[in-house]
Amino acid sequence: MKEISMHILDIVMNSIKADASQVEINIEDSIKNNWLKITIADNGRGMSEDVINRVTNPFYTTRTTRKVGLGIPMLKEACERCNGYLKIESQIGVGTKVFCYFERDNIDRAPLGSMGQTIMAIINSGNNFELIYTHKTDSGEFVFDTREVKKMLEGIDINDAGVLLWIKEYINENVDIVLAGKI
Amino acid sequence: MNCLEFAEKLQLTPLCEKEKNIEIEGVYIGDLLSIVMSKAKKNYAWITIQTHINIVAIAELLELACIIVVENMEVDIDTLNKAKELKIPVFKTSESAYQMACRMSDLGIK
Repeated sequence: MKEISMHILDIVMNSIKADASQVEINIEDSIKNNWLKITIADNGRGMSEDVINRVTNPFYTTRTTRKVGLGIPMLKEACERCNGYLKIESQIGVGTKVFCYFERDNIDRAPLGSMGQTIMAIINSGNNFELIYTHKTDSGEFVFDTREVKKMLEGIDINDAGVLLWIKEYINENVDIVLAGKI
Repeated sequence: MNCLEFAEKLQLTPLCEKEKNIEIEGVYIGDLLSIVMSKAKKNYAWITIQTHINIVAIAELLELACIIVVENMEVDIDTLNKAKELKIPVFKTSESAYQMACRMSDLGIK
């Protein structure tokens, strides 16, 4: 995938399909440490040890319509291509955590992409989960939490087109600010 | 032209059993798997520098004719084992993707 945010979208969709009611996306973008760390943690149904060992293999999938699943394998490859790694921790009935590490200045590292667009697409995919997105840089941190947004909206649907567009803009602006070191 | 004929003509090194001998209907060149997945078509030969097992998954998914690994990239053993299991022909060459494409074009594969 051309941008890392596409991978994030893909992994979060797995969380939602695993009946997660809460998903946390954590991005740590550090020039100082030369790393880009991404964690996606959910409280979905979780996986057994055996399944964790198999999900990085493209020939394992829970899908019944075709026999290959490339979401996690492609993300793993993207990490390894830039001297990083992908790690999965999971417990049945508790949830799953996917942790990715990229060498930040590696020439093969894809750009992060638009997080505003990604978060908008995630929220728009359903309405029975909460999303907490944290973006941390060397100079500051930005947190977006759908529980807080819903409180602010006072009954207006978070999936309303106008609200979604506002969320996209709001996130893109704040990520830019936190990346520029203004927070 | 089918896979084996052209592999022989171009002196490609076969890395896995030549059990599937499919007529090549086109060629796609690319290394970003998600893009290849959306652009390459059934019975296409795929030219790439990628060697990870994921390439076999793409070839299987799209029913590609064969995979041609260029620039003499070392192909992972897992990749070859899976390709053998699924009978997907994998070839290797020291040439670049561009040189390979030119030669395929000369052979009439457009």
